[in-house]
Amino acid sequence: MLDVGRHPNIELMAYSEVDKVEGEAGAFKVTVRRKARYVDEDRCTGCGACAEKCPTVVSDAFNEGLGQRRAVYSWFAQGIPSTHTIDADHCRQLNGKKCGICKKVCQADAIDFEQQDRFIDIDAGAIIVASGYDVFDASRIPEYQYRQIPNVITAIEFERLLSASGPTSGHLHRPSDLAVEEEIKGLEKKAAKALKMLGKFEKKYEKGSEEFYLEYRDGKYEGDEDRRKWAEKYEAYLAVSGPLEEMKKEAEAFDVAKRLAFVQCVGSRDFRFYPFCSGYCCMHSIKEAIIANEHEPETTSVIFGMDIRAVGKGFEEYKIRGGNQSGISYIRGRVAEIVEGPGHNPVVVYEDTRERKVMEQAFDMVILATACAPSRDVEGLAEILGIEINRFGFFQTGTSQPLDTTRPGIFTCGCAHGPMDIPESVAQASGAAARAAQILTDSRMRKAS
Amino acid sequence: MNRDIVVIGGGIAGIQSSLDLAEMGFKVYLVEKLPSIGGKMAQLDKTFPTNDCAI
Repeated sequence: MLDVGRHPNIELMAYSEVDKVEGEAGAFKVTVRRKARYVDEDRCTGCGACAEKCPTVVSDAFNEGLGQRRAVYSWFAQGIPSTHTIDADHCRQLNGKKCGICKKVCQADAIDFEQQDRFIDIDAGAIIVASGYDVFDASRIPEYQYRQIPNVITAIEFERLLSASGPTSGHLHRPSDLAVEEEIKGLEKKAAKALKMLGKFEKKYEKGSEEFYLEYRDGKYEGDEDRRKWAEKYEAYLAVSGPLEEMKKEAEAFDVAKRLAFVQCVGSRDFRFYPFCSGYCCMHSIKEAIIANEHEPETTSVIFGMDIRAVGKGFEEYKIRGGNQSGISYIRGRVAEIVEGPGHNPVVVYEDTRERKVMEQAFDMVILATACAPSRDVEGLAEILGIEINRFGFFQTGTSQPLDTTRPGIFTCGCAHGPMDIPESVAQASGAAARAAQILTDSRMRKAS
Repeated sequence: MNRDIVVIGGGIAGIQSSLDLAEMGFKVYLVEKLPSIGGKMAQLDKTFPTNDCAI
């Protein structure tokens, strides 16, 4: 990533979208819309002082909503470019409220609330579309209750929980536990505020709130407006502190997730959604189970799948190693449904095809291996580029030239082409680069002769 | 004939294409929708089958 940022031949246009493409191979005119970041890219040093002081807290999309960020943010810590961006949907200043704190604290004077989208025309000989894919929306499968049961998460969400730079610093805290801890934080703030208020009364009347309240309940201070307020405040405090203590007790028993289930083919090989095999998910689940076991050696995982497709050099060995050394068991069977058991534990109901029995098992956390779905804006992009998409929703390519789209001079690679893993994406990307270079150099040479 | 190239998407595929072309001496414009490049791979912790760190 860093190499891209500093390569003299690459002009990086982040936070931008292609708006229009005209012309033909060798002479395209591409209009790019550079979206307003409200931060001057040349001035911003990425120091993060703005994000530190920004009062608006927003759910963090990079962490799949498991963490929080501010309305002025960097997409992720090591992101290239490191320029911060203001989220126009949430920024107070841009929504007509008084704020502008980021502008005040920015030493580089990079914040610019007046910034507008800019349109830039580029003359290009070839285009490579590597627009990627979307993670399948697992909530479309009602029987898996994704988003209904908090401890049923997707593979990419699990990836963020595993990451040392993620919202839990790599500890496998369960989302249901995280929610309780978040609530505790909120209640603690409320309780502290209430205590401060009670303190004022206690000082004024030189009496403890608890003692006073007993007397008040006995009707000692009838008609005293100020003391009635005190009693009200004390009641409000009790309403907060009671549940808070209970939650704290509950939180003491919280542990990291150690019994994991991975459900394969969520959206893939499913005729309701995508009939194809997404290819990488079996290996992805095995990898996640191995890393989870590395983090916490007591972790055991069960991978439920119709079959484990470990296709590739060293992949089968990796799968076997996971079974032998990382506490993974593989169960052949499709998961029928996931229900919520006691203690927010998801219970997986499945058919074990070897035992020929319908079984159920409770886990701390269930991870859904979601399909590689065509990107949401694939149709819009295809229209702009004037290329076709195939029946699965990926860009259409030819059989003899598998990286060429239906319009000469436009090539595709990676998951925009179809589901594939990282090494395959990289290989295709080099292939697409070579194809683009080929058509451009070829005609140059023809001209020279 | 224009020799510049537009790459749409700054994930691992777009990054690899851009670097290859830039090394060959072509001028590349890399267009990414999100505030930073890296794509899905930047969200991954480690990659199979070597458990190497991602991007």
